[in-house]
Amino acid sequence: MKSDQVSGLMLFALAVCVWWLNRAFPVGSLSDPGPGYVPLLLAIAFGGIGLLIAAFGGRSEPLLAIRWPEAGRAAVILIACAVATLALERIGYRLSIMVFLVFFLGVVERKKPLVVALVAAGFSLASFYVISDLLRVPLPRGPWGF
Amino acid sequence: MIETFNSLMMGFSVAFQPQVLMYAFFGCIIGTLVGMMPGLGPLAGISLLLPATFGLNPIVAIVLLAGVYYGAMYGGSTTSILMRIPGEAASVMTCVDGYAMTQQGRAGPALAIAAIGSFFAGTVGVVGLMLLAPTLADFALRFGPPEYTALLLMGLFVLAYMSGGSMLKTLAMAVLGLLLGMIGIDAMSGYTRFSFDITELGDGVGIVPVAVGLFGISEILLTAGQPEPPKVQQPTLRQLIPSREDFRYSAGPIMRGSLLGFMIGIIPGSAHIISSFVSYGIERRLSPHPERFGKGAIEGVAGPESANNAAATGAFVPMLALGIPTSPVTAVMIAAIMVHGILPGPMLIQQQPDLFWGFVASMYVGNVVLLVLNLPMVGLFVNLLRIPYAYLYPCILAFCILGCYSVSNSMIDVWIMLGMGGVGYVLRKFGFDLAPVALGLVLGPMLELSLRQSLAMSGGSYGIFLERPIAVVMLALGLLLLALALKPVLFKGRDWRSKVGLDDQAG
Repeated sequence: MKSDQVSGLMLFALAVCVWWLNRAFPVGSLSDPGPGYVPLLLAIAFGGIGLLIAAFGGRSEPLLAIRWPEAGRAAVILIACAVATLALERIGYRLSIMVFLVFFLGVVERKKPLVVALVAAGFSLASFYVISDLLRVPLPRGPWGF
Repeated sequence: MIETFNSLMMGFSVAFQPQVLMYAFFGCIIGTLVGMMPGLGPLAGISLLLPATFGLNPIVAIVLLAGVYYGAMYGGSTTSILMRIPGEAASVMTCVDGYAMTQQGRAGPALAIAAIGSFFAGTVGVVGLMLLAPTLADFALRFGPPEYTALLLMGLFVLAYMSGGSMLKTLAMAVLGLLLGMIGIDAMSGYTRFSFDITELGDGVGIVPVAVGLFGISEILLTAGQPEPPKVQQPTLRQLIPSREDFRYSAGPIMRGSLLGFMIGIIPGSAHIISSFVSYGIERRLSPHPERFGKGAIEGVAGPESANNAAATGAFVPMLALGIPTSPVTAVMIAAIMVHGILPGPMLIQQQPDLFWGFVASMYVGNVVLLVLNLPMVGLFVNLLRIPYAYLYPCILAFCILGCYSVSNSMIDVWIMLGMGGVGYVLRKFGFDLAPVALGLVLGPMLELSLRQSLAMSGGSYGIFLERPIAVVMLALGLLLLALALKPVLFKGRDWRSKVGLDDQAG
């Protein structure tokens, strides 16, 4: 399989999903289009374009030629961001960002502990001060008010 | 003309207020730093700063964000020339000859010509904005729903034609963005669509989490684990002065790039990126010594840099005059203005003259600030590039989370950002351009509303688009460009993209 053939078929599958979900909304008539009218048009266009990409995708590079050397690191980044997001409203901005930075700098990048501590504490405290205290943008605080 | 001049003077009285001047200055500094950091382009920078503007008055807010925008355009060129790292996508072409000049020990003239070209182009752009936006706004008062539908459709077709890569992929991404724009409460019927019982999605998907995810997070995911950046050259002030020959070679490209960039900036798409590619192609073609290009030709720096800065200013014309964003950056800026209860569009210039003319005047000021401030301080700014990427990217990620959360204090926005980051990473691996997604997201609700209103007006007849002369002209233009874009797909020919090297980039 070629990369464009796969991506085109993925887009077509997504268009089918949209069409399926859109059945819940009335399409209405041409003179009084309902909330499902434009999404239906877009799903048809999306599916059609997906099929065209797949059809003209014969000259694209093979799927296996796409290299993913950074995929493992990318997955770690996304998971760490998700954990930090979960923690944000539970333990507060400063603590969750501090732990987040300690993880990246200390565990993933293996930097010296003192530098890690300084960067993590400095960044989380300074950014909280600038954004929350100076610019008055409310940021979450943990149960200990921190 | 006298009326325009008087309005501009009124604008300068706003722009020279100490608070506005200070924020223009800060915007330029922050923008320059943001533009220099790989992974944080102007869009991510503006998106992250958006929540901080909520407490400011609207003039100050838009002046600050505009400063970040053109500051980032400048900052991107510095990393391109010194390190061959385009801080933002529009600076890709500057890398080619800019870095070659650095290797020849001529980083100083390259930086200086980039700054002078950016200044000239920015000024040309502001003059164009000043003259064109009020005229366009007056004209747009004749627009009804069919004209707006035709205009938005034409914008999407132009986007497909001007795209750097595959036209079909660009259209697919635009439709994906339009579909994302369907999420939330339908303005005409009150139905909540595609919200999966998540209350926050009733308001729709915000542009900030989508933009930060697609452009900021996906870039970090792609560059994760890269080696340490190379050694940075730090030119002195004396080394920055270009020779007479440099000026002679650069004058034409700067003027052509400025005019070309402004015209491309007005039409939808990633205008500043496209304009720099087209400008490079034109300069190479016009040059009596095209073989010098790629080996340190200063025209290869002057043209694209001028073009991308003029395009950045040109993009403000439809944003302010029609209320229509032509790029993801202007989409975020429209959101910033709307937070303050101001609706960009044809009535803006009449109802908020101090905002419009103050903004125009502040752009003159901002251009001067960038030129005066950045050239002497380039040695200071490049120190930022000495920070190892291992320290930089976790902090950028933390900023992304912080910025998305603080737009509406919503965790859903952060989850959307992370989801879009993952999707953007995969789509970029498959060679899709992501800018149309952000553009489609903003245009989606506008297009739906105007299309349904048009059909309701005509009793269900699509013929209404053929009965209105303005709509007919715009649709005809859009379809003509679509046909031209389809030609190489169907007949396997070469079109303008391959001639200016856009295909290589898209690949």
